[in-house]
Amino acid sequence: MRRLLALVASLVLLGGVGFTASAGPAAPAPTRGGVMIIGHGTDAVILDSATATDAPTFTILEHLAETLFELTAEGKVRPRLALSQTVSPDGKTWTFRLRTGVRFHDGTPFDAEAAKFNLERVLDPATRSPWRFLISRIQSVSVVDASTIRLVTDAPFAPLLAHLTHGGMGMQSPTAIRRLGADYARQPVGTGVFKFKEWVRGDRVSVTRNDDYWGDKAFLDEVQFRVIPDDGARLAALEAGSIHVAVRVPPREIERLKNASGLGVEVSTSLRTIFVAFNVTRPPFTDRRLRQALNYAVNKRAIVASALAGTARVSDAPIAPNVEGYSPVPGYDWDLERAAALLREAGYSRERPLRAVFHHPSGRYIRDAEIAASIQGLARRVGIELELRTLEFGAYIALTNRPQAQNDIQMYMLGWGTVTGDADYGLYALFHSSQWPPVGFNRGFYKNDRVDALLDRGRVTIDQGERDKIYAQAMKIITDDAAWIFLHSESQVTGVRSAAQGVIIHPAERVMFTRAWLRR
Amino acid sequence: MWAYIAKRLLLAIPVVLGVAFVVFAMVRVIPGDPAQIMAGEAATEEFVEAIRKDMGLDRPLLTQFASFVGNALRGDFGRSVRSKAPVTIELRARIPNTISLTIAGLVVAVAVGVSAGVISAIRPYSLIDAAVMLVALAGLSMPVFWSGLMLILVFAVWLGWLPAVGTDTPVHLILPAVTLGMATAAIIARMTRSSMLEVLRSDYIRTARAKGLAEQSVINRHAFRNALIPVITVVGLQMGTLLSGAVLTESVFAWPGIGRLLVEGILTRDYPLVQASVLVVALAFVLVNLFVDLLYAVVDPRIHYE
Repeated sequence: MRRLLALVASLVLLGGVGFTASAGPAAPAPTRGGVMIIGHGTDAVILDSATATDAPTFTILEHLAETLFELTAEGKVRPRLALSQTVSPDGKTWTFRLRTGVRFHDGTPFDAEAAKFNLERVLDPATRSPWRFLISRIQSVSVVDASTIRLVTDAPFAPLLAHLTHGGMGMQSPTAIRRLGADYARQPVGTGVFKFKEWVRGDRVSVTRNDDYWGDKAFLDEVQFRVIPDDGARLAALEAGSIHVAVRVPPREIERLKNASGLGVEVSTSLRTIFVAFNVTRPPFTDRRLRQALNYAVNKRAIVASALAGTARVSDAPIAPNVEGYSPVPGYDWDLERAAALLREAGYSRERPLRAVFHHPSGRYIRDAEIAASIQGLARRVGIELELRTLEFGAYIALTNRPQAQNDIQMYMLGWGTVTGDADYGLYALFHSSQWPPVGFNRGFYKNDRVDALLDRGRVTIDQGERDKIYAQAMKIITDDAAWIFLHSESQVTGVRSAAQGVIIHPAERVMFTRAWLRR
Repeated sequence: MWAYIAKRLLLAIPVVLGVAFVVFAMVRVIPGDPAQIMAGEAATEEFVEAIRKDMGLDRPLLTQFASFVGNALRGDFGRSVRSKAPVTIELRARIPNTISLTIAGLVVAVAVGVSAGVISAIRPYSLIDAAVMLVALAGLSMPVFWSGLMLILVFAVWLGWLPAVGTDTPVHLILPAVTLGMATAAIIARMTRSSMLEVLRSDYIRTARAKGLAEQSVINRHAFRNALIPVITVVGLQMGTLLSGAVLTESVFAWPGIGRLLVEGILTRDYPLVQASVLVVALAFVLVNLFVDLLYAVVDPRIHYE
């Protein structure tokens, strides 16, 4: 049975990769027109790039507002509203040449002033942008001429371009923002392939084709982002033909959907890594052997094959493969004997079992509760007794985010999406000792001076080859230290009707319709 | 009568005020820091503090409550912490949807429930009676999120007769209304049945039959109206079930109503949104109760209000 599952899983993955990677030899020509409808699980929250936080909202915003640089689906940084960039020899001054002849949807020209306005808006503490920290190293933004801006950072900051691809840096119309103030967030204005049409709260957001777009115009007349919170109802709507695309298809439905006529399933990678972090400052997980023992005890392949129906990639690094700076790190294969040996060395046995409390969320990540239960079962086989505790996600974040003195969590599950596509965001925030809560997200309170030094160097080294080596070293130490149980990186499972062509499923969890068209 | 209505409306004020205070307190007692949740997973402490200040959560509780009530009286319910949009805009978009769904659910429940109950009562202890009561029990026992999905599967996916989700046309209301009304229909059916049976046993019915009136006339003109009174009570009580069942129905059918808004608001600790939504629901309850009481007076001429 397991072999059959593995075969099916590889076929699905291959099929998914093939589908996304190429159009095929006999691809029909795109037709113009039509309305494509996608079902999301949640409504847009706030339609302002600078203050939005969740993936569905950003999916909508990135059809409307563009960033200076884009992160392609292959994980490369490419100029978009910027044309080119140069950096000074000391690494602190960046000069961007901007695209000319571009206008916002309300007619305002996109120029250096507009770019400066948007960047400064994110940097302004009064805006309360949660993404300010991504570009907080920028000391000044200045206009050189109508199509050139200059950024000065306080120290060389290698991830800068990657961070400028983040949706929070979307360029929006200064005229609209100034005119509408707090009400701007209900009617965004950008330079994108689509224009905002309407937002029926709780129901849908509609966008229409921007016929004055500076690049390749969209094929579709309109895209509707509909809200269908229930997984089953969303699938039913897909099967009934009310929507063309459904996100977050439960893995167990893949087989059934693939066999349904007129439907297909795309399994694509994401940048989100799922892990279990240890609080390394409190017993018992101050002892590295115990952390390693759990890593050996957990059969990550089996979890992916069963709980996730093969639609995930077992982690071979703390970050996903399509993140710049990734390299595979020798990890912990499933090895019950080594797990047992390490436990004995640390003084534990079946008579005196290791006990710990394992916190996990429910319904936040794909099959999170089932994965936690699997880990509990696997740990029990080597005599480790884990007590599972779950909380509603708001309370969960509050609990895991307490400062070290009050934080009595021993191990907890979390996911982290490296949405900038750059290793700094995936490693610095989680492993650097300056990022202990409440300042940052290193909620395992990991601290290793060598890792700190490497991560600091990775930030200021501009040469990517050098950075890759630095991060490889850092990741090796982190893995040896077993700061986490390294589980897997999630895949996005998306249901697509065969009439919906050209849909791009971006690893940053964005479904993009910029090149999509309806086959009649 | 008008004096009575005025008195009831005046009494509504302390009720609503009490609800406002309770929800105000409860939502602040739930674990989970709204500023933290608002700020998101990836937020620094100073950012969270700034958000907390924005939300006014650093002020003493009584000050917060006073300003909430003061603003509410002027129609200002603040801005949703999450979307920054005025809460009134969020509510205005959702209230009509919940009203239409609840009324439709009520219509289904009353039409199906009363008819079923009367049919059962006319042929008590027969096969029809047993069948109707069995179906009623099934409707009552099925959880909304299951029965809703089953209806979608059968009527939208397999048969393609009705749309699966959404609010676009009146036709979209059918499946959600049936789902929502089913449990209440079952309760109304049982209540109608027992009430009718009791009325049909009474003396004045025997007199009507003895006078030679046609059975149809006996049932319609004499029995039915008298049997209705307890049924109206049940309907009034069930409004609560309908409004809260609407939350699950709204989730299954992607119906953008207040129920879902409230749940999402609670999960994100969106205080202004939760407070305003609960107030609206409480007000709805008070008004519905008043309406039900007035309905008694219409149906039963023996009832007078001073």
